[in-house]
Amino acid sequence: MADDNELENLFAQARQESSGMPDDLAVRIETDAELVRLKRLKAAKRPELRAWRKVIEGIGGLRVLGGLAAACAAGIWIGFSAPAFLPDPANLFLPQEATFLMAELNLDTEYLEGTE
Amino acid sequence: MEDLTSHLDRSQVGSAIGPEPSDESLLGQFANGDAMAARLLTDRLGPRSFSVALRMLGNRSEAEDVTQEAMMRLWLMAPEWVPGQAKVSTWLYRVTMNLCIDLRRRKRPETVENAPEVQDISASVVDQIQDEARSDALQNALEQLPERQQQAVILRHIEELSNPEIAGIMDISVEAVESLTARGKRSLATILAKRRDELGYENG
Repeated sequence: MADDNELENLFAQARQESSGMPDDLAVRIETDAELVRLKRLKAAKRPELRAWRKVIEGIGGLRVLGGLAAACAAGIWIGFSAPAFLPDPANLFLPQEATFLMAELNLDTEYLEGTE
Repeated sequence: MEDLTSHLDRSQVGSAIGPEPSDESLLGQFANGDAMAARLLTDRLGPRSFSVALRMLGNRSEAEDVTQEAMMRLWLMAPEWVPGQAKVSTWLYRVTMNLCIDLRRRKRPETVENAPEVQDISASVVDQIQDEARSDALQNALEQLPERQQQAVILRHIEELSNPEIAGIMDISVEAVESLTARGKRSLATILAKRRDELGYENG
C-alpha cells in the first residue's frame, strides 16, 4: 500500500496542475454570458410590449381577440343599418314622447325660419 | 455587440470598488446587466469547475464542454438566485459533478485505440516523465474509485474544500463525507501500491 506521504505528494502535484483554465475556454464562457446578458437587456427594454401581450393572453389569445373585434364590428353595423326584420335601434332608446318633443322643436325652428 | 475580447484590467476593477464582492453579489450584478461581473465570476469559478471536471473525466475537451455548460446554467439562473440559500461555488460544483456523471454514463468505454501511446524515455526527461507518470497514475486510480468516493476525494484533497461544503455539494452528512474520503484514500493507496516501482517510490 502507498503511504500517506506518497499519497499527499500526489495530491499536491495534482493541485498544482489543476490551477487555471485554458484561455479559449474563458472566452467561450464570457461570450455565453454576454449573449445571455444582451438577450435579457433586450427583453427588459420592451415592457409595454410585454404588458400588451399579458392583456391579450388574459383575454384568451389572438384568436379570441379577433372574434371579439368581429363581434364589435357586426354590432356597430347593425346599429347604423339594421336589416328590415329587426326593429329600428333608435326606437329602442328614444321613447315615443321624446319623438313628439323633437317634432315640436322642429316646428319652432320652421317658424323662426319663416320670419326671416 | 461590444468587443468581447477587450477586457478591462480585472484586478483594477476589483480594487477600485474596495473589498472583493462576494460571488453572490457578482451574480446579482450580472443579473442586473453588469458585464464585468460575469468576467470576474468566470475568473473565480471557471477554473474550479474545470479542475473538478478534468479530474472526474480525465479528458480536457470533455472537461471544457462540461465547464462551459455549467457556467451557462449559472448565467441563465442568475435572476432566480435566492440570496443566502447556498454558496454560488457550491451550486456550481454540484452542477459540474452532475454533468460529469451524466456524460460518463452516456460515454462509451475508452477503447485501446484511443489510449495515449507510450513514448520513448530519454535520460534527460526522466524526472518529467516520472511526474507525468505519477499524475497519470493518480488519475487512473481516481477513475477506478466508486463514483461517490471519487467525488469526495477530489473535492477534499484536490480542491481542498471543507467537509461541510462537500456535504452541501453532495447532499449528504459531514460524517458520510468523512467516511467516503477515508475509504477513497484507502482504495487509492491500494491501487497505487501496485505501481510503486514505476512511480519512483521505493518498496518498503
